[in-house]
Amino acid sequence: MLVEPTAGGGSVRRMSDAALKTSPLHDRHVALGAKMADFGGWEMPIEYPGGGVVREHTAVRSSVGIFDVSHLGKARVSGPGAREFVNSCLANDLGRIHEGKAQYTLCCTESGGVVDDLIAYLRSDEDVFLIPNAANTAQVVELLAAAAPEGLTVENLHEGYGVIAVQGTKSDEVLDALGLPTGHEYMSFVETDWNGHPVIVCRTGYTGERGYELVPAWEVSAQLWDALLEAAAPFGGLPCGLGARDTLRTEMGYALHGNELSVDITPVQARVGWAVGWKKESFWGKDALVAEKAAGPSRVAWGLLATGRGIPRAHCAVKVGDEVVGEVTSGTFSPTLKNGIALALLAPSVAAGDEVVIDVRGREVAATVVKPPFVEVDVREA
Amino acid sequence: MSELDYPQDLRYTAEHEWVRSGDDGTVRIGITSFAQDSLGDVVYVSLPAVGDTVSAGDACGEVESTKSVSDLYAPLSGEVTAVNESLDATPELVNTDPYGEGWMYELRPADAAAVEALLDPAAYQAQLG
Repeated sequence: MLVEPTAGGGSVRRMSDAALKTSPLHDRHVALGAKMADFGGWEMPIEYPGGGVVREHTAVRSSVGIFDVSHLGKARVSGPGAREFVNSCLANDLGRIHEGKAQYTLCCTESGGVVDDLIAYLRSDEDVFLIPNAANTAQVVELLAAAAPEGLTVENLHEGYGVIAVQGTKSDEVLDALGLPTGHEYMSFVETDWNGHPVIVCRTGYTGERGYELVPAWEVSAQLWDALLEAAAPFGGLPCGLGARDTLRTEMGYALHGNELSVDITPVQARVGWAVGWKKESFWGKDALVAEKAAGPSRVAWGLLATGRGIPRAHCAVKVGDEVVGEVTSGTFSPTLKNGIALALLAPSVAAGDEVVIDVRGREVAATVVKPPFVEVDVREA
Repeated sequence: MSELDYPQDLRYTAEHEWVRSGDDGTVRIGITSFAQDSLGDVVYVSLPAVGDTVSAGDACGEVESTKSVSDLYAPLSGEVTAVNESLDATPELVNTDPYGEGWMYELRPADAAAVEALLDPAAYQAQLG
């Protein structure tokens, strides 16, 4: 038996790789005995001993899980007209939100492909904080810096802050125990103070569960992590690795850049057109995306629920009869459903409820076309 | 990973499988403690069928975790005489009891002496490094 990595995550490594960057919580992960993997050039925990992907996943769905996602990028656009400038570049409409709200948005190419999907925190008209994906941060910052008019500052703050996600129904209790603010509206954030240190507490996440993402200064991150783990323990909360984060987001049908979105996969195809400000005067890729929307995309994102035994994986062909109708972009075992699930890009002829066959390394696995999420949750609950 | 163990009465392969000789001339095969730990939670196991003939080194099945897929290689040539059907519903037995309830399949080796040529526990652990 050989242990081979699949797409959507790095290979498991037990030795440190000097070429990889490490999170401010690296020592904590090593002390916990986590299996580490390369995520976008960062050596991050994939799972922890005593947990494992399934238990960590279940902790989030039933109680609470704490994730180190400090590999995520941090960037800031500041100066007069920062909001207006970002709004003229990124796809979603910052006019739809007010100060103190965060927004899922896209950085597109002129041909409509996606350089990155990211979260924009609107702090004020002069200050927009961005959380891009680890591997794409430098490029997003370069593109914005190159386009920025005189007087605006675009900073790459990747190693200025940590990011810790607290996800699950018991998230409020965990934050309450630390005296951090809770209960604010979905996709809104509060800038607060913890032990004398500034922390941003945003009601966001990538799991589908109620939860928060905390942005402390880099050097405060380990202290905050320790306090969160201690507060989560009485609820059966666990430190969770990026393996569980991937199964959780796949159950929700959330796009992962590099799989469901890429420079070759547009938001129209990926069905994230809701994150495009179609009525805006301009943004990168607008002309191409408007044209594609009008003509109809050549392929569209769907979920596939395996009805046969087997686990679909990225790049598996999807067929109706002998005809290939598309390809799996992410596939895994759903710990909640105990079933194979996949996200796929399929021909426009395919519709919800259709029966398809997934070619899993030469074995045919039957599946039904569905609209994600695969699991019912209420991330927005007041 | 101090809890990983390698029973003395088994033979091993470089592909992280174990082989146990039975009384009736068949051998039972599974994956090692190291293998299940490296894979993480096993969520799907695909095994050969009873009656299949396999050759040593052939890929004859797959073990999947949430994130990875690994081939099972036949450690010996022979005929498959039994498979562990309980892994269909409870693949996690591979993690919780890799040398017991988590066994995978049984073979009648074409050459009974071939078992002795596999790695002994010390040799297997030595190549884990």
